[in-house]
Amino acid sequence: MKAIVEARNLHKVYRADGVETPALRGVDFSARAGEFTAIAGPSGSGKSTLLHLLGGLDRPSEGEVWLGGERLDDKSAVERARLRLWKVGFVFQAYNLIPVLTALENAAFVLELRGLPASERVPRARAALVELEMQDYADRRPNQLSGGQQQRVAVARALAAEPAVVFADEPTANLDSKTGLALIEYMKRLNREKGLTFVFSTHDPRLLDHVRRVVHLEDGRIVAEEGMG
Amino acid sequence: MWTLAWKNVWRGRGRSLVTAGAVAAVVALMLVMYGLSGAVQNGMFENLTRTTGHLLLRVKNAEEVREFDLSLIREVAALKRRIAGTLPTADVEAVLEVPALLAGETRSRGAVLLGLETSGRLTKELVEKYLIAGEPPVAESEWSAALGAALARALKVELGGTVYAFAPGTEGLGAAAFEVAGLLDLPESTVEARTAVLALEAAQELAAPDAASRIVVFLPGLKTLEQVQLLEDARRALASVVPPGYEVLTWREAEPALAAILDMMRPMMLIYALLFFVLAGLLVVNTVYLSLVERIREFGVIIALGADRWRVMQLVILESLWLVSSGALVGGIVGGLAVWRMARGFSLPGALAEQYAEFGLPVVMYASITPGQVAQVFAFAALTAVASALWPAWLAGKLEPVEAMRHVA
Repeated sequence: MKAIVEARNLHKVYRADGVETPALRGVDFSARAGEFTAIAGPSGSGKSTLLHLLGGLDRPSEGEVWLGGERLDDKSAVERARLRLWKVGFVFQAYNLIPVLTALENAAFVLELRGLPASERVPRARAALVELEMQDYADRRPNQLSGGQQQRVAVARALAAEPAVVFADEPTANLDSKTGLALIEYMKRLNREKGLTFVFSTHDPRLLDHVRRVVHLEDGRIVAEEGMG
Repeated sequence: MWTLAWKNVWRGRGRSLVTAGAVAAVVALMLVMYGLSGAVQNGMFENLTRTTGHLLLRVKNAEEVREFDLSLIREVAALKRRIAGTLPTADVEAVLEVPALLAGETRSRGAVLLGLETSGRLTKELVEKYLIAGEPPVAESEWSAALGAALARALKVELGGTVYAFAPGTEGLGAAAFEVAGLLDLPESTVEARTAVLALEAAQELAAPDAASRIVVFLPGLKTLEQVQLLEDARRALASVVPPGYEVLTWREAEPALAAILDMMRPMMLIYALLFFVLAGLLVVNTVYLSLVERIREFGVIIALGADRWRVMQLVILESLWLVSSGALVGGIVGGLAVWRMARGFSLPGALAEQYAEFGLPVVMYASITPGQVAQVFAFAALTAVASALWPAWLAGKLEPVEAMRHVA
């Protein structure tokens, strides 16, 4: 099966005040449609950077990123935004829901950015909330939800948009272990039942037992890879 | 996006209320100021045209004609009938100005004898405004005159006394005696020192039978400066019945200096509006910018989720539009109510009314605002909203998602 996302010889160097800090040093990575992949590694290993580059949030210093058959790294900010809007879903460590919107409005937000009318986006967002068992909280704002609930809404936001791939950057880092595991189970079910492709990062070794494919990253390099998607 | 923008505006409720309140104040203030300037303009216009009329018929280039008889309109009675037939609702009055020598028992002065129709608007205006003693002039069995008080003093005549008018070389009697029936306190002392008002018939018999220096037309439907079309239509109608050698002037052409003063108020109001909205705009910039700074992380998320630069800018501008339009709506209601109340008539407080009356303002004024001015105020508000949001919107549009999401407020 063809890769849905692919990175070739990816380098990323951060420059600040004349100091260069390499974050990625020649990473080759790919994920096929329907895979459930974890990128594991300690803090500072380059997991977030890799996800940001794969998702088109940032540009590599060197190397290529391909998403759904389109090269991403040479595109303008506006073109990358368009690709993210239509092909990528994101789940962030800090949930990053929009505080003034309800759970339902948050779940529908990407669809609204795509310009879908309320008659289309609301049923899709509601259905996504149902998948994450958050339908009873649809009218609540993020500050009225627990961390685990907020993260489920964030996953629902990604799910409602039906992206080619969902990048989740340490989605369980702010959750207790039980809630974190439950979230991973939700993601796995969506992967299994909906065929949604997930690439997520974690530094929690307990979660890795629940993932079939794990890519280990250290000091900006892939040092090991286990399992298949 | 509209919903999100609206919710974001009310997230910082206190700050938004202050800013929207400032916009409301500016909009209300501008509507009231436009209403006031309309009241002043219309008041001055009304005062001015009470003495000049709205249209004026005279000999072509009359100001350049030196000879008295060449400056006269002939067959006035017939001409007035034709004008009345063309403009049936208009009041038409003839005025005859006769340069003459006016003498008392011991002294004489060069004077202008102003012949007015005794039952006309001009005489009524003269009596109401300037007659300080005695009666208006009549042309019955005995002729009488109302003299400028300064002229009466110069001639050493008093009420009930007699003055003698000499207008040699004219087509009338050339000389006549008048009883001093009234005294006038005219606004300009030089005019007061050389003006005597007579009945039109008396002036005509003295110097120019069935003639006039000018025919003044009052259009009852003309109440404001804005009714330009009405004035022009009447002018065209009048010009069609006027014999060759005469011209029809509007009050503007007859009094260009005063018309210019009235016209100047409009650009001045525009400058005031610009200044006020610039000040309100600074407050809006501050609010929108602070709102952006506090939400950089959130903007980062929105960009990460796929909003491009223009979408983010659109969101910031929408927030500014909500902020300003909610203020403008409240200001529009408050200002509109104030103008509506003032349109029913108001006076300046205390002694101000009398002081300003000397500059031609009526004691009771009526606020007036045109739809164009209302549209202008709201257009300025909309422009303020967009212009104030441009810089913060530009900054938001330039945010890099990864950096923005790492931002700590």
